[in-house]
Amino acid sequence: MRFEPPNVTEMNEWIAVGMLAFVGLLIPLGMMAVSYLIRPSVPETSKRATYESGEVPTGGTRIRFNIQYYMVALLFLIFDIETVLLFPWAVVYLDAVESDAVSLAEILGPMLIFVAILLVGLAWAWRSGAVQWARSPFQVEAEADRP
Amino acid sequence: MSRGETAESLQIAGPLQVGEPLLPERISDITGLGEFGVAGELTAAFLAAFLVGNLMLAMTGVAGPWAKRKITAAFTDRIAVNRAGPAGLFIIVADAVRLLSKENIIPEDADRPAYDLAPIVVASSAMLGFAVIPMGSGVQLADPEVGLVFVFAVAGIASLGLVMAGYASANKYSMLGGLRAVAQNVAYEIPLVVTGMSVVIFAGSLQMSTIVDAQTQTLLDLGIVSIPAWYALVNPFAFVLFLVANFAEVGRNPFDTPEAPTEIVAGYQTEYSSVYFVLIYLGEFLHIFLGGAIIATIFLGGPAGPGPEQLGIVWFLIKIWGVFMLTQWLRSAVPRVRIDQLIEIGWKGLLVLSFANLVLTAVIVGLIA
Repeated sequence: MRFEPPNVTEMNEWIAVGMLAFVGLLIPLGMMAVSYLIRPSVPETSKRATYESGEVPTGGTRIRFNIQYYMVALLFLIFDIETVLLFPWAVVYLDAVESDAVSLAEILGPMLIFVAILLVGLAWAWRSGAVQWARSPFQVEAEADRP
Repeated sequence: MSRGETAESLQIAGPLQVGEPLLPERISDITGLGEFGVAGELTAAFLAAFLVGNLMLAMTGVAGPWAKRKITAAFTDRIAVNRAGPAGLFIIVADAVRLLSKENIIPEDADRPAYDLAPIVVASSAMLGFAVIPMGSGVQLADPEVGLVFVFAVAGIASLGLVMAGYASANKYSMLGGLRAVAQNVAYEIPLVVTGMSVVIFAGSLQMSTIVDAQTQTLLDLGIVSIPAWYALVNPFAFVLFLVANFAEVGRNPFDTPEAPTEIVAGYQTEYSSVYFVLIYLGEFLHIFLGGAIIATIFLGGPAGPGPEQLGIVWFLIKIWGVFMLTQWLRSAVPRVRIDQLIEIGWKGLLVLSFANLVLTAVIVGLIA
């Protein structure tokens, strides 16, 4: 007897993912359309002023911002790539341990070294004060006072 | 179809079905759309996506205007909404109409395309994550092998929307809120993913259905009750880490500094009104539920629970509502952390702990197996 595919139709599952993306766009757009139809519009210039707790807005918004935190962005990139590289290892780990073909040190060792190298990087960033929102003025002074 | 054919197809259907059919396939079977080729497939997938999308929309509808108020009121010994409908439930309709019919005030300095796109990005990216979540009772849109990575990746898109909202509003509070949001998401994304990875070590797969199946094994048999091997029980340390990182990732208390009302008004959503405000709010609630769905799937056995399997979706909803209740509990009970504390907790605390958890899990699994 030849095996026919079962009655249940096989579909590419990414079609459904794409459709949810479509529905996910459709719902906000639909709400915006409904709102457009029922909301009033009373144009008035002072209403559109930038909100600064009721005061007259002063200065622009696109100011210079403390760049210190870009170090953390770099750190994030490194760790993010690291998670991408670790995921395949995590998927095959249990099978590799149970297969007895390779010793535990061989499976675990490279990952431990990999993580250790990155943690050294984190330790350096930690010591140099990169993983902070902002250095407090006290901290800067204390460092400047150092002989 | 003759009787013989039916019997034959039933015979074959048994051994060939590896996994449960997914929701689009079921719908195409029930409605007969499968016979219309690609157009039928697309329609069935659309119907399934529409169903899941609106289920989530309904849940945020209940959570936002009603449940949140009721829970907060219970914590502060008040009654909250109780006028319209049973237990004030009709406030959902009233609030929807009220918010959508507000005038949409757009600040004069706003960067228009980005300002308008940000709410859509926040809302729809959160919605997309539900595509791979197995909700039980056969409600799962897709089950790709990269499920877990997909859901993390999609959940991360929202921070783009928050930065867009913060920058395009041309408001200082929004700017600070947007920068805080990205700093927070950057700090907590790694602990979240690395802790999730320790679950992958147990399950040996990124596929959501496989992760759920792996949790149906028995951990402890106590005679009458057998405790399932939910990963929250197998590795409670990872569970707690994941919970904390998740609250930070979705920006809930005590980690809601990006929109801290006592410091920066409402953060990135300060300048948003009317339907845009609704969309950002919707995105936030969807994110809480998406976080709850991830927690339920990889730590709480997904749709598993006592009773017949058809009750799966009930158990699943109970679990993600449980996580939602927890966020509201924390909202009422835990003080907010400062932004510098938040960054330090993320980079110096959770990141180190999550790597410790990963290494320890790997070593222990390796030694036991």
